[in-house]
Amino acid sequence: MNQGRVLHWFALLVALGAAIVFLGLLTDTIREGLPHLTWQFLTTAPDERRGGGGIAPEIVNTVVMVGGALLVTAPLGLVVAIYQAEWQGRVHDGGVIDQVRATWLSVPSVVVGFIVYRVAVAWWHWPLSLATGGLALAVMNWPVMVTVSISALKRVPHAYREASLALGATRFDTVRRVVLPAALAELIDGWGWALARLAGESAALIITAGINVSAHWSVWGPGETLAVYIWYVRTEGVGADAGGVAAATALTLMMFIAVTLWLSGRLADWRRRAGH
Amino acid sequence: MAPNIRTESLTVSYRRTVVLRQISLEAVGGEVLALIGPSGCGKSTFLRALNRLVEETPGAHVTGRVFLGEMNIYSSAVDVTELRRRVGMVFQAPNPFPFSIFDNVAYGPRLRGVSDAAELRRIVERSLQEAALWDEVRGKLRRPALTLSGGQQQRLCIARALAVRPEVLLLDEPTAALDPVSTEKIEELVSNLRGRYTIVMVTHNLRQAARVSDRTAFFDDGSLVEVGLTRQIFTAPRDPRTEQYLTGRYFP
Ligand SMILES: Nc1ncnc2c1ncn2[C@@H]1O[C@H](COP(=O)(O)OP(=O)(O)OP(=O)(O)O)[C@@H](O)[C@H]1O
Ligand SMILES: [Mg+2]
Repeated sequence: MNQGRVLHWFALLVALGAAIVFLGLLTDTIREGLPHLTWQFLTTAPDERRGGGGIAPEIVNTVVMVGGALLVTAPLGLVVAIYQAEWQGRVHDGGVIDQVRATWLSVPSVVVGFIVYRVAVAWWHWPLSLATGGLALAVMNWPVMVTVSISALKRVPHAYREASLALGATRFDTVRRVVLPAALAELIDGWGWALARLAGESAALIITAGINVSAHWSVWGPGETLAVYIWYVRTEGVGADAGGVAAATALTLMMFIAVTLWLSGRLADWRRRAGH
Repeated sequence: MAPNIRTESLTVSYRRTVVLRQISLEAVGGEVLALIGPSGCGKSTFLRALNRLVEETPGAHVTGRVFLGEMNIYSSAVDVTELRRRVGMVFQAPNPFPFSIFDNVAYGPRLRGVSDAAELRRIVERSLQEAALWDEVRGKLRRPALTLSGGQQQRLCIARALAVRPEVLLLDEPTAALDPVSTEKIEELVSNLRGRYTIVMVTHNLRQAARVSDRTAFFDDGSLVEVGLTRQIFTAPRDPRTEQYLTGRYFP
């Protein structure tokens, strides 16, 4: 066997192993969580005193914080990416923005959470809340958004830009009318992926958004997400069936992520087909 | 009447390398001028200097003058957008946008503010007819342009360029990526456009240059070696380098 063959089989084996472990964990989670996963579980608030109850506020908090963070960072990241890929790229490569982005990407999320805590909570006196948590997610997400957007823009063939410029379009027109429509499918894919990634974040949110939900929902109130709730129930879990509640919440979170990825994938495919 | 386009001591360099040296060449209004020469001799760069597209390349530097009619296109008063409307360009690999056929052709007019649906339809139909593509795509204008064959895509690109009513057409090896039948269609199309547009066409296909052009210019290593009537260049080149190139390629 040549080396390529060996590597191929090795990769296959690793993938298979990972799949088996994942399936094992998944069946375990399903077995434990499915009995809890009722309509009532999804639509009521947790029972603070006796443990158990539902996860409705956690679902809302996850959607609001993750969605909010994406809504703010996606356009910002795209603007930075457009500047870098469509303008600055012509003058010189690399530069300060790239270095900041690369460094930022490698900072652990707890550290980002801690920094946001120091700035927003300690200096600005923001409460532990959905807003603060959303800010932490946004701070964490912006370099991802820039990276995702740059790679989407770079995948637009240069020939489109030349064709547009040769027809008398300005650079701005070219970006708006050709590059962005052509990059949209990739962008949607990237946004979906970022959304899924943010939904699983917990460390930074424990510090910034708190580990409980308030009776009166507000963006300035504490906002525990699904991921944080799993962590909370697992570590502090009171009540008879903490394990079941955690598993059911994990299932919900996985479904949320799966639906997000599926939807964004479909949307991206639909955009892709529109051009071909 | 299609205008002349004329360069005077045109020199282009990328960063520090000079790739075109002191080119003085004129395409007469309505003629087809073919540019031939070995790979890397600067033909594409020359074309891209004629619509200032070369300026979009980082590090490119242009000196000398280029006149479209009476206007020096490198003077600071020139509106590049308007210049590129007047000087259309078609590239080696067909590059339609990933939009519908209609939206591809309507792209240029829309840029210039045409938004009336009936007028856009008229422009699109006229341009597709002029590019000899109308009969193949009528009734399918909403289809994605990328579903067309390579040859059709290239004619679509020509239609897209014609839609803004240019006066000069720059064709950079427009058939290099096409099969013989599509190539023949494009050549026929170029012959039909001759007279209405001033056409400057780069080609590696010497027979093609012989078939469609009025005059031929031979470039070598960034310099213009000679230019003359196509028949004269092919039968009695004055410069030995031209002869070498023609015989080397023609009768190997
Ligand atoms: N963007 C660029 N940066 C630096 N050098 C370049 C660039 N584009 C072209 N060149 C160089 O300029 C010279 C002329 O290139 P050009 O593309 O004009 O040649 P050409 O005659 O069109 O060649 P071909 O027949 O292969 O298309 C070549 O040596 C090429 O390497
Ligand atoms: Mg070339």
